[in-house]
Formats: sequence, structure tokens, C-alpha cells
Amino acid sequence: MEKKLEVRNLRISFRTSNGKVQAVRGIDFDLDKGETLCIVGESGSGKSVTTRAILGILAGNSIVESGEIIYDGQDLLKITEEDFHKIRGDKIAMIFQDPMSSLNPIVRIGRQLTEAMILKGKIRQRESRKTFNNYLKHLNEAMVQSATSPEEAARAPEICKKFDKFEFKHIELEKAYNTAHEAAQEAAEDIDKLSFELEKNSVGKDAADRIGDIIRQSRASINEYVVPEAKKAQIDSLCSKLKSSFRSKDYKAVLESLYAIRDILKDAIGKPVPNFFRMGFYLTFSDQPLPDMPVDELNDFLRKYLDEHFMLHFIADAERALKFSAKRSQDNMVTAIRELQAALPVYAKENLEHKECTETMKKLDAAVKATIDPLAIVKDSLSYTFTSSLKSEIDHYFHGVRANVKVMRTYNRDKRKYDAMIARGKNPGFELADPAVTDLDLIRDNIARLINRLVDHYNTILKAGDTRNYDKETVAVIDYLKENASGVVAKVTRQIAKHRAIKLMEEVGIAEPHKRYRQYPFEFSGGMRQRIVIAIALAANPDILICDEPTTALDVTIQSQILELINELKEERKLSVIFITHDLGVVANMADRVAVMYAGKIVEYGTSEDIFYHSAHPYTWALLSSMPDLDTNEKLAAIPGTPPNMIYPPKGDAFAPRNQYAMAIDFERQPPMFKISDSHYAATWLLHPDAPKVDPPKAVVDRIARMNARRGKQG
Amino acid sequence: MSNQETLLRVEHLCQYFKAGNYVTKAVDDVSFEIKKGEVFGLVGESGCGKTTTGRSIIKLYNITSGDVYFKGVRICAGTQKLKEELKACKDPQRAQELKKQIADAKNDQKNCDKMYSAKLQEETKAKYEALLAKATGEEKTKLQAEYKDAMRKARNTRLVTQIQMIFQDPIASLDPRMTVRETISEGLVIQGERDKNVIDEKVYEMLELVGLVREHASRYPHEFSGGQRQRIGVARSIIMNPELIIADEPVSALDVSVQAQVINLLNDLRDRFGLTILFIAHDLSVVKYFSDRIGVMYYGKMVELADSDELFAYPLHPYTRSLLSAIPLPDPIYEKARKRITYNPLAEHDYSVDKPSFREVRPGHFVQCNEAEYKAIMEKLNGK
Repeated sequence: MEKKLEVRNLRISFRTSNGKVQAVRGIDFDLDKGETLCIVGESGSGKSVTTRAILGILAGNSIVESGEIIYDGQDLLKITEEDFHKIRGDKIAMIFQDPMSSLNPIVRIGRQLTEAMILKGKIRQRESRKTFNNYLKHLNEAMVQSATSPEEAARAPEICKKFDKFEFKHIELEKAYNTAHEAAQEAAEDIDKLSFELEKNSVGKDAADRIGDIIRQSRASINEYVVPEAKKAQIDSLCSKLKSSFRSKDYKAVLESLYAIRDILKDAIGKPVPNFFRMGFYLTFSDQPLPDMPVDELNDFLRKYLDEHFMLHFIADAERALKFSAKRSQDNMVTAIRELQAALPVYAKENLEHKECTETMKKLDAAVKATIDPLAIVKDSLSYTFTSSLKSEIDHYFHGVRANVKVMRTYNRDKRKYDAMIARGKNPGFELADPAVTDLDLIRDNIARLINRLVDHYNTILKAGDTRNYDKETVAVIDYLKENASGVVAKVTRQIAKHRAIKLMEEVGIAEPHKRYRQYPFEFSGGMRQRIVIAIALAANPDILICDEPTTALDVTIQSQILELINELKEERKLSVIFITHDLGVVANMADRVAVMYAGKIVEYGTSEDIFYHSAHPYTWALLSSMPDLDTNEKLAAIPGTPPNMIYPPKGDAFAPRNQYAMAIDFERQPPMFKISDSHYAATWLLHPDAPKVDPPKAVVDRIARMNARRGKQG
Repeated sequence: MSNQETLLRVEHLCQYFKAGNYVTKAVDDVSFEIKKGEVFGLVGESGCGKTTTGRSIIKLYNITSGDVYFKGVRICAGTQKLKEELKACKDPQRAQELKKQIADAKNDQKNCDKMYSAKLQEETKAKYEALLAKATGEEKTKLQAEYKDAMRKARNTRLVTQIQMIFQDPIASLDPRMTVRETISEGLVIQGERDKNVIDEKVYEMLELVGLVREHASRYPHEFSGGQRQRIGVARSIIMNPELIIADEPVSALDVSVQAQVINLLNDLRDRFGLTILFIAHDLSVVKYFSDRIGVMYYGKMVELADSDELFAYPLHPYTRSLLSAIPLPDPIYEKARKRITYNPLAEHDYSVDKPSFREVRPGHFVQCNEAEYKAIMEKLNGK
């Protein structure tokens, strides 16, 4: 599985007037492509803070103590606000808990929906152009360098130029086709809906608008490969008949013309699709017009033409280039490993020297940069983020060295005062807090871990050697280029944005989107507002969607509609979702994996089956048993007490005071993560081999038995 | 359960809101009864009128038409339906009748509280006059003071205060500038209680009852967590010794663990005082756990009403089925296979000829249906 997001050892605190609140205390997790990770926990457990850190919108009084959030070869904790603008909303979007606070009360809904689309459209165009050109440049270089004969070297630039040229023609053709095809599909669907209502004799107020839409859509569906020009006249006459009969309220005639239009459209929708990639090449480089033949034959003909004139060369050259580039990067890895290992003692000294450290860092930076394969589509995030992580650790160290002196001075003064007061038998009236010194050993350890991790990473790559499937990768490269090229052509005008926004509104289940488009947020009910927020989050077509309790305030039917919607979109767009909630029913519905958080730590981590059927942490048990389901009759087991005050985090397990299974060690030492299975981890001393065997509470056992029984009955 | 007395009876309750020429029928012809000591759950999607029903009962709105009887006394009465009938009426005798009904309804709507307090005053008067006649000397002066006090309270007592409400949002429903003591005791003060010690004692008692401590009385709402705030809301409503509590989504804004605490608290109070509760919520698992009977609302209409076990075992109305199919359960394998049933009134029903009405299909189980559907349901039930 491709990892989309990695969070490593994240620690976040907040400065408050009463002291430092430790909101997140060292959490690690990954997010794979196309999976949903649910984070469960009570309010104040740090789940929202974690996601806010990912989106770079932490409050001003926050301190990121340590950690990395790696996305697409970048460490999100270290990039600038400028860079974040390109990621936020575009690549990572968030749905907030309270819809009203994420909508602007004095701007119409439509404007708020389209604003981001238009802005992001421009940025995306620019970015896609840049990536496309860059990649083609690197490919070209690699092709030239890897050429075995002067002939091949001479051929490379020309090939790349050709690709650039016809690629855009292809996208244009495809776009025109897609627009027409979509229009035809939508019109057919609208006709289905409207005719159903007409048959039932219930004509809504917006029928006139909808008929207007249908007419517009069916006219827009005229394209060579959808509804051919020849049928234009027929559609026009049907449309005008439709209009006039609707005006005279002759619904029978309206239905007739609707059906006639639908037949034409349905016919058009089912037609075979020509391959525009090949067609683009043919139209650009061959002087002849397209031969007149059925689409299937045309496709074959075009493929032959393309293969002969371009594709075979391109694939061969590109494959060679990829191999060359991968080889080069692996060669560089060997050097880099040597350099890294040589650097280890530099950072392991008792007292680091500033000059030596920075110089070594520069050397390492160059070595690691050299290992980056510019032609790899999936970026090697460890290499990309290595330097920035190393730099921040070194800065942290030297800042700590200076700050520690100051902190210790203050502490010693206070301590003297305190001791003197105690010695005189007085009540000091204040508590002496431990000095907040920076842990220099920890930083040294962090640096060593950072370097070792990269070395291990390189070693695994080198060991795996050349088992990569270059054929497949070449195809992926072509797809990647195509995708970026379509990004360049995809221009978002106000008109397109409006159309798309209305479609999105329909998709998230808002009735009468045309009317709603022009309304203000206060005119919407809570559920509708939340749908708008979801539509806005989806408008930019993000990679990662973070949902912060999006359905907590909604009722069941709408909740399940929205969950279904998110699930559907996830499937469709291969979206990775981080879902925060405290409703375990929702978790069961959404999650591939679940992380249970308590007091800033992940206490249990596993697939949703692990968590619901084989949970191991007392806190998970407590959560499961405090929630009624349809068969619960006995008194609910509420969790006693409240979460701990995170200004003074407890010494041992944070859940111990509320835990009926707590042992003496729980108050003394924090439990490590015990591995239960490959996918399932829990942090509780109960899993220690020396611990007494404890059964989960009766409510949980009973529920699992009931669930098994119900499933047994069904299947 | 049938021999229990009816505490609240809602008959053909309609609540329309006008915005220009557009009339929103928030609640349209809803009837139900709540027996003493039971928990009646009201469920439905947002905007279906369940909150409006609750608010209409407690007289936060003037209802459009229909009647609400509390302990046998009519506390709300609407007139629009009667007025419409009067307009269309040709028969003079019937018109006379209708006019009288309208006048009665207006009178009840306006004066039910006054009548109740007059009744109370008379009772107090009778009680104390008998006592005063016997008493002499110092005892008499003491009695007279007591009498005065009791009369004042009787004058200020309203029938509707025996219905209390717990609101959804514990933050918005508490005044940020009032201490907890002031918030909880406000009702008592309005009723005419002037003795500070009595008030304090009552407030402490209530705080302990809902699981808070005495020291909390002098704090402000922002110093509490969500669950504790909701407890304050509960304390505020039970200090008036209500017979009926309207709980409008009291737990939907809370965390699961806190939710369990508040539900347990409401359950305890109910056992202790024999409270009757109208429980409005959209979390069906909680409603099922908490309620004896459940009414399902859809777009201002009550579509199904039954005992909670019966409703979950045999949902008859298609909307109820769709609602039940949407409940998320903490069981991943089941959840991933769960299919939601969508409800499309246009496709499900054909009401163009035969209008639906609320019919009893099994003892205590009512469904909104027309003749054809009724027959189909009966066939299905008998076939079982």
C-alpha cells in the first residue's frame, strides 16, 4: 500500500497562563492511500489538535515539541505558510464540527462554493504546467545520458517535444467529449426524474427551471462522438415543442417530447468511445484527415499508427531512462550510506560543536539529495525530508543549550528561596515545579534515529535490488504526464464553477440547488449547512480529507446519508480519510483502521475488527460499554471521573485513576505499546506477560456475543 | 399500562408558521397521549417538527389549532380550524356552536393559568381560614404570616410550571452572567420564594441529586464541562417539582461517556420521583434504551406510534423502516454490509385519491396510512 501520510513521534503543547498543557504526547500513525483512519476519544484527548497540526492551523500559543508529519515528500511541520497555501484545501481538506463557524455569514453559499474552485483552478494550472515541464525535462536528460548510440541521443529531445505537442490536443478532444457526454447523461437522468413526477401528476414549482436545464443540457451534448450534428435539428425541434407544450400546460405532449429526447440521448450515451490519446497524435502529425470508419476499427487503425510512429520508441527510451535513473540513484545511495555512517559519531559527542554539525549537515544534504530519483513518481519522502528534520533537531539542540542555562538559573533561585522558607518553618505558598529543561540526550537520540532510519531505508532498497517492473512504471509515467497535462488545460471559469457547484450540491443531497445557490448560510438548517461545508471541502478534489466530527450534530438519516457520501467519494477518488468521532457506531461504519486516543496518546491501534471484537485496552472497553445499542437494557456503565489535567500529566498510565483494572504499576510507569497481532497494538500493562489475566467487562462480552449471534442468523 | 392515568393529551395539534404568503406546516395534525410515569420518545429527522411539538406543549408558541390537555385541564387551544369551519358554515345553529367553541378555546388558552392559580388560592384560603378560626394569641400571628406567604405563592403559581424543559445545547441555554445558584433557583424566586435559606437548601439538594457538589453553586457556567452543564440544566428543571419533563435532545451534544452519565442520571430521577418524560432525540439507540413508547414524525406528521420494542420489532411505515435502517451499530462487519433503505414519499404512497389517516393496526400500535395500505398491513400482520 502506498503511504499517503506519516505522523511520527508528534508532541504538541499549549502555552497557557497556568502552565504548559501537553495536548499530544508522542503519537505515531500512517495513513494509506484510499483508507479511512478513525480517531476515537473523549473531548480533550488531543484528536482535534493532531488533525489541526496536519493542516497547519494550530493556535498561536501552540508549541510543536517534536515530530514529523510527512506528506508527499514534505514535512508539514516545517514548511512555510506560503507552501501550505498550496496544500491546504487543495491536497488536504477539512470538514469542521461546527458548520456555522466555517461559513462566512455575509457571503452567498454559491460564492463560497465557487471561490475556492476558481482560485485553486488557477494555482493548479500553474503547478501542473511546472510539474509537466520539469518531469519532461528530467526524462529528456535521462534519455540522452542513457543513450547507447548517438542516434538514440539525438532522438530523445524530439520525442519529448512531440509528446508535449500532441498531448494537449488529446486533452482538448477528450474534454470536449467528456463535457458533451456528461451533459447527455445528466439530461437523461433529469428527464427520468421529471417524467416520473409528471406521471404522478405532481408538478413542482421549479419544473420550468428544470425543463430549461434539460433543454440546455441536451443542446450541450452535441459532439461528433456523442450526439452527432445530424441530429441537431431533431433535438432543436423537440426542444421547442417541449417548451411550447409546457407553457400551454399540455403535460401529455411534454412527456412525449421528453421521452423522444431521452431515447436519442440514451442511444448516444451507450456509443463506444474512441481513444483520444491516439487520435490526438494522428491529428497533430499526420496530414490526412481522420479516416471515416466505425469507432472500433478507427481505434485499431489509430493504435497501429501511433505505435509505428511514436509509441514504441517512446516506451523503449523511457524505460531505458527510468532504469538509468534508478541505477544512478542506487549508486548514490551507497555513497550516502557511507557518509551517513561517518556522520553518526559527529552527532553522538557529549557536547556538539556548532560549526562541525552544520558542515556535516551540508555534506549529508548533498549526498542525500543525490540519491533522489527525479523520475520516481512516488516520492521517497524520507530522503526529501531528511535535511529539514536534521536541521530542526540541530537548531533545537543549540537553542536548548542556551535556554537551559537560563532555566536552571531561575530554578536554582526559586529553589533557594523555597528551601529557605521551609527551613524557617514557613509555608512558601507556592509549589516548586520541575525545571523545564530541554532534554539534550533525547535530541541526540533523535538525530541518531533519524540517520539510522535513512540508512536502513537505503539498505532495504539496495537489497531489493532491481526487481522493479519497468514496463508498468513506464505506463505509470505516461499516465502521470497525461494527468498533469489535463491539469494544465482544465480551466475553471465562473460558469464552469457554478455548474460544478450545483452538481456538488445535488450530490450532497441539497434539494433545489438552483434556489439554494443564491441563499445565505443562515437560511439553511444545521444538517444542510453541514452538507454545504462538505461540498466546499470536496470542491477542490483533495487527496486527504479530514473530518472532525462532521455528523455529530446531525440526525441518523442524514448522518448515514453523509457517511455513505463520504464512503462513495472515497472509493471513487481513492481518497484517504481521517475521521474523528466519538460515536462508535459511526466508527464501525467508516473505519478501516481505528486509533483510540486518551490524554494525548494513542492507547489502542488496530483494524476495526481488532478494536470491536478483540479490544484489549480498558479504555476501549469503557467506551464500548458506555454506549447503548438496540439491545441494551441494563444500566449503562459510565466512565467515572474526568480526564486528567494535562498541565500536570500523570506519571504512570493516564487512564489509571478511572480504570477499575488498574494495577500498582499503572500509577508508576507508562505502559509501552504491546503488540497483539501484526495490525493490533495496545498500551496497557495488562498485556505484560506477568500481568494477571483479566476478562473484558460483561457488557462488552455480551455485546460481542450478540453481534456474533445476529451475524450468524443473517448469514 | 392502560389503567394508568393520562398526564398529557395532545389532540390534532397544528403549528403553522407564516412567512409572507408562504405557510410552513411545522406540526400538522399530531395526536398522542402520555401516561403518568412513562417515557415517551419522539424521533424524526431534523426539521420534522419534533422540537416544535415540545415547544408548543410548553406554550412557547401559540398553537394554530388543536388542543393540549395537561392533567385533564386544557392548557393550549388553537382556533384556526374552527374559524375556517365557521367561515364555510351555512347552518346557523352549528355556527353558534362553533362561535362558542372558539370563545372557550381563546379563554382557556389565555386564562388556564389564572384559573389554576385561583383554584389554588381558594384551597389555601379554605385551609388557613379553618386553622385561623381555631388559633389564638401568638400562634395566630404566626399562622397569619404563613397564610400571607402561602397566598402569595398560590397567586404566582402557574399550571405550566409543572412542565419543565431541558434544552439541547447546555452552553446556549445557561445565562453566562448568572451563577449556578441563581440559574437553578430562578424558578423558585419567580414563584415567590423569598427565604434565602430555603432557596439555598433546595439548590444544594438539587445539586447533590444531579451529582454535583455544594461548592459548585457559586460558580459560573463557563467553569463546567459539557456534561456538568447539562446536569445544571437538569437541576434547574427538577427544582420546580415538575410532573412532566420535556427533554429536547439532552444528550446529543455530549461525548459518549458523558452521555451515559446523563442518561443514567435521568433514569435515576425517573425512578425516584416517578417523573414523566417526553424525550425528543434523533439517536435511536438512546431512544430505544430510554423510552417506553416511541412516536415517529416525518415532515410535521406523526407516521407511526408504538411501544418501543414493538416498533423496533415490527416497523410498519416505510419511513420508520428507513429510519431504523440508518442506525449505526458498533459492529464493523454488520455495518459494512448494512443497506440503508431510502424513503421517497412520492414513490411509496399514492395519496392522490385516498387521503391517509392515523389508524390502530395492533393494540397500541398506530400507523399513518390510507385504506389500501391499511388492508395490506393487516394482511401482513395476520399472515405472521
